Amino acid sequence: MARTPSNKQPINLRGDHINLVSSSLSSFPILQRSSEEKILYSDRLSLERQKLTVCPIINGEDHLRLLNFQHNFITRIQNISNLQKLISLDLYDNQIEEISGLSTLRCLRVLLLGKNRIKKISNLENLKSLDVLDLHGNQITKIENINHLCELRVLNLARNFLSHVDNLNGLDSLTELNLRHNQITFVRDVDNLPCLQHLFLSFNNISSFDSVSCLADSSSLSDITFDGNPIAQESWYKHTVLQNMMQLRQLDMKRITEEERRMASVLAKKEEEKKRESHKQSLLKEKKRLTINNVARQWDLQQQRVANIATNEDRKDSDSPQDPCQIDGSTLSAFPEETGPLDSGLNNALQGLSVVDTYLVEVDGDTLSLYGSGALESLDRNWSVQTAGMITTVSFTFIEFDEIVQVLPKLKIKFPNSLHLKFKETNLVMLQQFNALAQLRRIDQLTIDPQGNPVVNFTLWKYYVLFRLSHFSMQKINGTEVTQNDMIMAERLFGILAHVASSELPQYRLISILGDARKKQFRYLLESKGKKPGIINEENNDSKRLVGENTNRATLNYTTRDFYNEKLEEIKEKKKFCKTYIEDLVKEATEINMKNEALQKLWPQMFIELVRDAVIEIRNKNSYMKLCLQQITDQK
Amino acid sequence: MLSPERLALPDYEYLAQRHVLTYMEDAVCQLLENREDISQYGIARFFTEYFNSVCQGTHILFREFSFVQATPHNRVSFLRAFWRCFRTVGKNGDLLTMKEYHCLLQLLCPDFPLELTQKAARIVLMDDAMDCLMSFSDFLFAFQIQFYYSEFLDSVAAIYENLLSGKNPNTVIVPTSSSGQHRQRPALGEAGMLEGVEASLFYQCLENLCDRHKYSCPPPALVKEALSNVQRLTFYGFLMALSKHHGINQALGALPDKGDLMHDPAMDEELERLVVRSKLHRTSRPHRAKEPGAFGFQRREKQEALERVSSASVPTPYHYRWEPRE
Repeated sequence: MARTPSNKQPINLRGDHINLVSSSLSSFPILQRSSEEKILYSDRLSLERQKLTVCPIINGEDHLRLLNFQHNFITRIQNISNLQKLISLDLYDNQIEEISGLSTLRCLRVLLLGKNRIKKISNLENLKSLDVLDLHGNQITKIENINHLCELRVLNLARNFLSHVDNLNGLDSLTELNLRHNQITFVRDVDNLPCLQHLFLSFNNISSFDSVSCLADSSSLSDITFDGNPIAQESWYKHTVLQNMMQLRQLDMKRITEEERRMASVLAKKEEEKKRESHKQSLLKEKKRLTINNVARQWDLQQQRVANIATNEDRKDSDSPQDPCQIDGSTLSAFPEETGPLDSGLNNALQGLSVVDTYLVEVDGDTLSLYGSGALESLDRNWSVQTAGMITTVSFTFIEFDEIVQVLPKLKIKFPNSLHLKFKETNLVMLQQFNALAQLRRIDQLTIDPQGNPVVNFTLWKYYVLFRLSHFSMQKINGTEVTQNDMIMAERLFGILAHVASSELPQYRLISILGDARKKQFRYLLESKGKKPGIINEENNDSKRLVGENTNRATLNYTTRDFYNEKLEEIKEKKKFCKTYIEDLVKEATEINMKNEALQKLWPQMFIELVRDAVIEIRNKNSYMKLCLQQITDQK
Repeated sequence: MLSPERLALPDYEYLAQRHVLTYMEDAVCQLLENREDISQYGIARFFTEYFNSVCQGTHILFREFSFVQATPHNRVSFLRAFWRCFRTVGKNGDLLTMKEYHCLLQLLCPDFPLELTQKAARIVLMDDAMDCLMSFSDFLFAFQIQFYYSEFLDSVAAIYENLLSGKNPNTVIVPTSSSGQHRQRPALGEAGMLEGVEASLFYQCLENLCDRHKYSCPPPALVKEALSNVQRLTFYGFLMALSKHHGINQALGALPDKGDLMHDPAMDEELERLVVRSKLHRTSRPHRAKEPGAFGFQRREKQEALERVSSASVPTPYHYRWEPRE
């Protein structure tokens, strides 16, 4: 009869030994061995590469301990329930689709089911003695139904379709777990395996240490592989693994040296530092962002308030200006058209903060940024000479230009090297406002952001700036270089204005206008130095330093609306006085004129009468002579 | 001087008609304001300069709006100054928006009201799309009409409204059938067919207006001429016609004819000189204020500096003489 190839006996399963039994099991071949073989190899039977498609019925071999069905085409595990002494069953490389038919094999210790078509781990309930379970090369998607295998030492689930690892509790004896070549993204429950020493996770889909964090808690693990995972490509891979798994002796099949451990610890500390630092930075940035958002919101409220007053004062349900300190999430709904600076996340963030600033001052190397009108006061601070000297760019955002004008003298003195000015959302609406910038020492670059500065919509604004501030010889406006042609064009457009403003004004006007400008520049100085305005010598000295531009355009000034109205108010008194004074003069003059005219009218008549009286008087010469003498004697 | 008409007027009326008091008051006011500066070189000189500048039309530069519109002469001077200063903008061919023209006006008069500029723009744009661009000459002539004849135009607007709604303020209500029909024709509003009001009727009302009120209004004969070609007209059509009429422009005397609007040879010469000077200034290194005194305004030097500047000035090419308007 046929013997297994392990004894190098010729295989002969065809022919005589297959008996077609008339029972219902007649479709299965029945295996019979010669009694010699039975005695020689009583506990082992090998049916490797026998082209079997089904498990044959094995009669009279109930004491078999090792059974080998490798490399066949068996689709179901059957007809072995009688072999209750079986210790090792090898069904490697068959076509088995389901684990079944093993429920009687209570002594089974080794079960090899690699390279089959098994989709699910099941029906292993009675195999409590299982020591080795090999299910590699199957189609298993989930680890299940093995929690009772408390004697299992080796579990091979390589080359399956596992996407995650869990449900490993109960495997109290497991020392080796092979999960290579799956699609595993995270690993759990490994810390429930008290004996696990070797864990092979090569060629899976693990990308962060967090997804395998339970490994850190497994004190028994000494050997682990991660190669072929995305995590192994990361720069922090090695030292993170080493740092988190101090118990490891071997990583990716290589021994871990002391040096490596030390390096890992150092690097991990550095990472920690960096993370802390960046966290702090992001907190700061967040705070800055929120402050700016708050300033923006206040600015918008202010602008809306002004617009509402200007357009419709009787609409009661218009967006009423709200107290900025009480901003909470609900007010967001009241301003549906607001775009730009507001953030949908602002709602949540603001509720988290208890105090929100209303302005922001930021120094970033060579740039000083001011947000919100409250920031202007910061110019009064004691800036160190070094910091102030480094500032070359000053940026104003969400501040009214008229307010900025008032602090320009301070800017000039405190930040002498500021050459680039940037304005955004500063309500620049008229060309005239640029006149105010003439009082600075020098500007190389000017950036006027279109947002919140309607003046940029004018066709001629750049030329006007170049014309009025020609003494600065600016290099760039809004990022574009200023060319010779631009300067010439500016001069051509507005040169006559300058000419008219300087040469055609009467002298006293020139003096008064320039005097006003000087007085305004002095205002800050005098206030800060506490001097009385009457000291003329000081003014002279300061004037040398402060005024340095073309006489030609110096009369083109800008007075903020408030100051202008103030001035007009002041003049009202004088005007009234002048009016009454002139009226008095006119009255006098007309009276005199009337009297003169009346006299003119009456005079001819009066003259005639005078002459007639005189002629009548001297008609009688003698009596007249007597009368005169009489008068003379009377006088004495 | 001693013409009988002049003597026929009582004193106050004469003074008021010539606006003498306005100038006197303003002169004294300016004197008070700049007392310290003026006292340096004498009051007589101040008055000379003041009235010279009134004659030349430069007294309105950078003054407040209430003064600029106070007298017809001021208005004319302002128009002229605006033309001279910004003629170059027009010459350059730029089309600007109403807001930008307003900015330019504000350069010369800081508190010039936006309303007036808007009204002027409406004339040009025929009350349509106020953000449109306008050419310099269009705007200037419309602005001239609007600014110089502001009060007159307000009354005309009221008359127009009345006529449009069928009320005729000038004709005596005589309840005859014909005049009733006459009056009611616009009120029936044959919509779409007849726009505006009838020209001749409109002119009659205007004539009455000009007779009744003393403030400046365009010479009625010229107005009639402007209306002679049309049967019906709208309010803005009428204003547009006024602004384009050469005769009225000449009668005002502020601006040259439309064809000559860009011509000003003397100023162009001056401009060339300025441009050349600026070119030289730019090529040489611009000096910082660290070297004071070069452009510095020291008190004792300032007078000289100013004197240098004013002596270099070119006398106004068109000597504007203030002619009595009949």
